[in-house]
Amino acid sequence: MEDSNIQEVSIGEEERRDFLKLLGLTGSVGAASQFSLSDIRSALGSGTSSELAAMGEAIRADLTGTVDADVLANSMTGVATAVETLPDVRAAGFPAEEATPYQELTEPAWEAYRHLSDIGFFASAEEHLPAYTSEGLATTTEELVRAEPLTATLSEAGFSEQEITATVASVTSQQELLKHWVPASDLPADINEFDPANVGPLHKRAAGGALLWIDGLDDHLWRNKVLVSEQMYDQGVQHTKTMLGGLHLMTAAAHDIAGAGEFDDAHLAAGLAGGAAIMIAGQENMAGDVYRITDEMRADGGF
Amino acid sequence: MTDLSNDKAVQAVKNTKIQKKDEFFVVDSPIDEPVTETHAADMIPEKDVTQEMLTGSSANANAWLMYGGGYEQQRHTSADTITPENVDGLELEYLFQTGTGSGELEGSPVVVPGDPPVMYQTNGPNHVKALNARTGDVLWSYTYANPNNIRPCCGLNNRGVAVYQDKVYMTTLDANLVALDRYTGEQQWSYNSGDPAKGYSNTEAPVVYDGKVIMGSAGGEFGVRGYVDAVDAESGEQVWRRWTVPEDQWIDDSWQNGAATVWMTPSIDPQSDTIYAPTGNPGPDVWAGVRPGLNPYSDGTLAINSSDGSVEWHYNESPHDWWDYDSPSPPIIFDEEVRGSERRLVMSAGKVGWLFTMDAENGQLMERSEAFGQMLNTFDLPPAELEDSPWIMPSADGGAEWNPVSYDPNSRTAFVKAMNYPSKFQWDREEYEEGRLYLGGGFTVAPEMDDADYPSEDDWNRKLGVMSAVDPISGEVKWRDWYDEYSMGGSMTTASGLVFTGNGSGEFIAYDVESGERLWQFNLGASVNASPVSWYDPGTEKQYVAVQAGGGGLRSHKTGDAVAVFSMEA
Repeated sequence: MEDSNIQEVSIGEEERRDFLKLLGLTGSVGAASQFSLSDIRSALGSGTSSELAAMGEAIRADLTGTVDADVLANSMTGVATAVETLPDVRAAGFPAEEATPYQELTEPAWEAYRHLSDIGFFASAEEHLPAYTSEGLATTTEELVRAEPLTATLSEAGFSEQEITATVASVTSQQELLKHWVPASDLPADINEFDPANVGPLHKRAAGGALLWIDGLDDHLWRNKVLVSEQMYDQGVQHTKTMLGGLHLMTAAAHDIAGAGEFDDAHLAAGLAGGAAIMIAGQENMAGDVYRITDEMRADGGF
Repeated sequence: MTDLSNDKAVQAVKNTKIQKKDEFFVVDSPIDEPVTETHAADMIPEKDVTQEMLTGSSANANAWLMYGGGYEQQRHTSADTITPENVDGLELEYLFQTGTGSGELEGSPVVVPGDPPVMYQTNGPNHVKALNARTGDVLWSYTYANPNNIRPCCGLNNRGVAVYQDKVYMTTLDANLVALDRYTGEQQWSYNSGDPAKGYSNTEAPVVYDGKVIMGSAGGEFGVRGYVDAVDAESGEQVWRRWTVPEDQWIDDSWQNGAATVWMTPSIDPQSDTIYAPTGNPGPDVWAGVRPGLNPYSDGTLAINSSDGSVEWHYNESPHDWWDYDSPSPPIIFDEEVRGSERRLVMSAGKVGWLFTMDAENGQLMERSEAFGQMLNTFDLPPAELEDSPWIMPSADGGAEWNPVSYDPNSRTAFVKAMNYPSKFQWDREEYEEGRLYLGGGFTVAPEMDDADYPSEDDWNRKLGVMSAVDPISGEVKWRDWYDEYSMGGSMTTASGLVFTGNGSGEFIAYDVESGERLWQFNLGASVNASPVSWYDPGTEKQYVAVQAGGGGLRSHKTGDAVAVFSMEA
């Protein structure tokens, strides 16, 4: 395969500082290389957000009895397999014409997406969860850090401790952009010649968008081989893994509604909102690092 | 010249009331039915335009039978009477004034060979004339009856007609297609492609292939869903429709407002029966947060099977676009030898500022050129407030805008005329008013701002337009000529090594294709926002070059109403 040394999801120094700043912590929680969620959890101390707990309770009430645990469990297993397979897909290099290795990775994730859509999960999430204001994002992220049983499910999906930390922290890379992603219910009702009813709920856009960007890699990498560098391709793999991680968190939280009851209501809400934020950040990073290619970034391909 | 003072079709246009309301126009037309005025229609040779003639248009020095010269849209004439050596002797044969009022001249005439050759010339709103191409005498004139209060977003232009057999075809501002009798100017039928109340409109020249009229629509600023229609050229019935927003690759129902309109003329490859449609921005223009994913088939080239409208491939130049980076400039089909083998290729110059060269069969990118204009903070995402936005180039106007590119196969050079100024962008979910177009945000362009805190002159040279010569194989920009004013419209190359184009200052220029030296120029007194055409007339033994000068569109420096025809004897 091509030389590649950045396939693991990792966190940079600036992102580490932003993450700590978002959580209201000083920069004393270790350098990026040893930075872990358990350290941050300790620094945050105990506590929980009553607002998020109320939101989680409302979502649980809306959806109890509708979630098919088997569909979501199968999806999570499939996502874990996709994460495991990802290095091999990358190692195979640029996809051939009409090959679909990345679309094959997302098939189990689309199953969860369709099921959650069918049962009204996304509408309920949008109705109850906070918008991605600075304050809302900080509350969500803080709770997600505290949701140890939830984030621990990422290790079952093949994420290392460092990767789990980096995945959760990735929301800080696109804090401003997250504000662009407003709930559909906040759209003005009478826009001329544009029907807000056609816009999907926020968390559905987050999940569906993430999967579309991953699916798009098959065609994008083949079609734009003259522009895409190996480094850009590696970044694409990182973002793919991050987004799959975000989807896994969302799915695991939804799965809990089916009866496992392992997560408290605040953790449930944080898993849904945080998972969606991770997927949004991942797709914005994917767009900027892999799809929109400036002259400074481009590979030296061509005739 | 023909006296047009009592021409009912001309008067209908003159009496059309146009109200500019913010970024769009409200049109109040005085006529309820189409109007045709006959002058000397019997001079038109009754010889139908055949498919064979259309297919051979590019190679026929005596004709310019469709918008881009031929299906490949190289805008290249095989006429070679005018050369770099003698172009300084090019003279004005006649200057025809449309009589319809000032502005809205963005079109390319079509010239059907014969004795005399007949020119079909259009200008906005939806006015056609048949002219004796030797003299400029009007043979008939026609004005379409647009309904009142339609809302084309960006000008009332019309960019030209298609001809086939005994008919002339024109798209209309209310998104219809009309067929006229080519010999009399009488309307034969009208095909309704989209509802103007939803924002559909059309200014593009259609193209006829294999008995079908191919057309798209405008309306990408109003949240419409784009399409390409194939319409039976004889009956006006729809043969197929290709929606340009694929439902399964957009989230929820956002596809319904996904735009990706085809508002400029598609190119067609008769070798493969493939239509290459240039596609516009996704909707809404500036706020991408409501339409996650790559937003296919927007902002690029959509290859469609001409028989049934099925999609063959798509290339997106600005995935998940936030900057209104349509790719309306018609794609050009061409052959070049690459690494020892002949390749069929397609090139597209986007508002995003590069020329993309793709394999015609599968759309794989072969090369992306150097930037043909200036780039600044390209792809920086819009903030919530305009004052927080950096200056970004290309602006929301592009880039290449709709300006058709021309190609000289002899020197392997594409000529791209582009806009060159910065924009600031913002997304804003609340700033809208009933009756206004919906962008999901806003943008401004530097030249339209008072007290603008412009970028430094190192970053932006203050030139509003640029003509670039680009090698589509190596991607190298061979030469540039910068313009002081907005510069819209396209160019035209000759077999003898010239490229003609105009600019916003009114200059109509002939360059040497290799060196970029200005070998000849003529000031027409109004912005040349149109694209020149050329033909040779065996009856007069002259090569002619025609171009409209009258401005038009959102960015127009000086308006007028002239069609200038230059000539040189063989």
